[in-house]
Amino acid sequence: MTVMLTMTSDAAIDDPSSGSGIRRTVGTYVDSVVSRPLFWLLPALLFITVFQLYPVFEVFRMSLTDMSLITSEESYVWLENYRRLLGSERFYSTLRVTGLYSIASIILQIGLGLGLALAIDYGVRRGLRGPLFTRVVVLSAWIVPGIIIGLVWKIMLLETNVGVVNNALGRLGFGIVPFLSDAQIAVVSVITAGAWRGTAFSMIMFYAGLKRVPDELYRAAKIDGAGPLARFRYVTLPQLKSVVFVVTILVTIYSLNSFDLIFALTNGGPGRATEVIALSMYKSAFNSYEMGMAAATAVVLLMVTLVVTAVYFRLFDISEEI
Amino acid sequence: MAGRTDTTFGGARLDVSWSQIRRYCYDGVTYLVYGLAVLFFLFPVLWVISLSLRTEGAVYTSLELLPSNPSLDSYREVLDSGLLRWMRNTLFVAVLSVTGILLVTTPAAYGFSRFRFRGRRSLLLAVLGFQMISPIVIVLPLYDIMRTLGLTESHTGLILLYIGLQIPFSLWLLKGYFDTIPTELDKAARIDGCNRLQTLRYVLLRPVMPGIAVVAIFNFVLTWSEFVMAYTMLSPGGEDLYTLSMGIYVFDNQLATQWTNIAAAAVIGIVPIVIFFVALQRYFVRGLTDGAVKG
Repeated sequence: MTVMLTMTSDAAIDDPSSGSGIRRTVGTYVDSVVSRPLFWLLPALLFITVFQLYPVFEVFRMSLTDMSLITSEESYVWLENYRRLLGSERFYSTLRVTGLYSIASIILQIGLGLGLALAIDYGVRRGLRGPLFTRVVVLSAWIVPGIIIGLVWKIMLLETNVGVVNNALGRLGFGIVPFLSDAQIAVVSVITAGAWRGTAFSMIMFYAGLKRVPDELYRAAKIDGAGPLARFRYVTLPQLKSVVFVVTILVTIYSLNSFDLIFALTNGGPGRATEVIALSMYKSAFNSYEMGMAAATAVVLLMVTLVVTAVYFRLFDISEEI
Repeated sequence: MAGRTDTTFGGARLDVSWSQIRRYCYDGVTYLVYGLAVLFFLFPVLWVISLSLRTEGAVYTSLELLPSNPSLDSYREVLDSGLLRWMRNTLFVAVLSVTGILLVTTPAAYGFSRFRFRGRRSLLLAVLGFQMISPIVIVLPLYDIMRTLGLTESHTGLILLYIGLQIPFSLWLLKGYFDTIPTELDKAARIDGCNRLQTLRYVLLRPVMPGIAVVAIFNFVLTWSEFVMAYTMLSPGGEDLYTLSMGIYVFDNQLATQWTNIAAAAVIGIVPIVIFFVALQRYFVRGLTDGAVKG
């Protein structure tokens, strides 16, 4: 009843000059449509349903079948794909590589990002030269398409004289370092290239967080006699807590699901030394055509991501802040 | 300020000097951090540019950044072999995707910000939950869906896909922006006779512009650079359909060791989008810092 009332009064306000009944009805109709939330949300919800919700269900369903890219027939094999996956050496190797890559990436990117954000914030507050330039350079690295980053680092790390790193090391009297052909060093190379790309994201998030710390807090702490380290520990960090949480979650999700950079840099090699879960999933789908197996791998990847995120929510205990 | 450092190290001034010395130390460390960061993040790009300007024979020898007799031959060769076309495709896909994303998310963000209805909070959380699902996880069913709909090997399909994938994040960001705008504005507009559509168009759109700019810039960069979806959906089609990222990847695999050409392709993959971003990064960073990224 109240809804009806507001509707009619809206229409009156809407078109005060009009005496025409038809325009009035159209106005009322438009008003009643646009005052429903569904009108505003529908397109977005449709897109999400088709391109996100349904595919998530579908990947679970696919993982229970023997679907293949070559034939159109498929039948349910239930947990067979998972049984095969858990029984294969390759699966544990990709799990190990993904874990190692992700942990190193999280530590590196958050550490470097926070350090850079602090340096830039300090420079801006002190009026030094250079913080803007530094910020732009770091952000530019983030903008470069992942596949091109892989290519750039491949060129940098070539194991001939063309590779600038090896060339420079050679001039200093070192031998050729097998950056991409040694199993262990290749992992380090992939992590380094990943940090080159990812650091900017945590830097800019931390920087945004730092800018929102009110100057009064620092001044008050200074008056209370807190040194720079104490100010960082007791003023900056607590204020950054929710940003740290968001950045950690996003960087984790991002590194666990890494694909394009590694695809271009090493394609998982040498052997399987840098083959992360996403890469092995993609290969079983489009090189071996086993969509069912690949879907099972994707489901495992999704599960790993969700479990890790849930653990973060427990650890951080930010319930009072969201 | 500067005059005081060289005056004295003794007596009553000692206190002042110490804090000043400490400050200079901090400044020094800060500059060192800037220097190292610039070296690490800029050098690879400079090096690739340097390689791209060399003749094929000069790549093995020198370490100089400025090659002695620079040549643009590799660019000419690379652009002729398809890169120009792929760049046009990428621009087309990115512009239409961003337009679509804004057309779909702006009303939805308004809706989530201005209406109170049953299930609003859970719906919002569900939408944000998709943010945790990486596109790579659902690339297989997406490929299957697109194949069924006959939308693989088509730019239209890719654009629809990008819109669908980018909605959750953009919605989250824009909704935060709408939340920062006081509802008094809505009420005033209502009294002035605006319905909700008009309120959004004539009253709220302007204050929400920084948020729209962030969403537009972010999504443009993302769709320009995107690889997995483009590669999966478009590679069965002809080279004419390729986007820049996937084109360069395929190209790199064909060229084997022609490093100057590969470097030139990489530079073309880097420079336009970085210039675009550097020109607009002010709005991007301001939108992020002033606005609504709530913890």
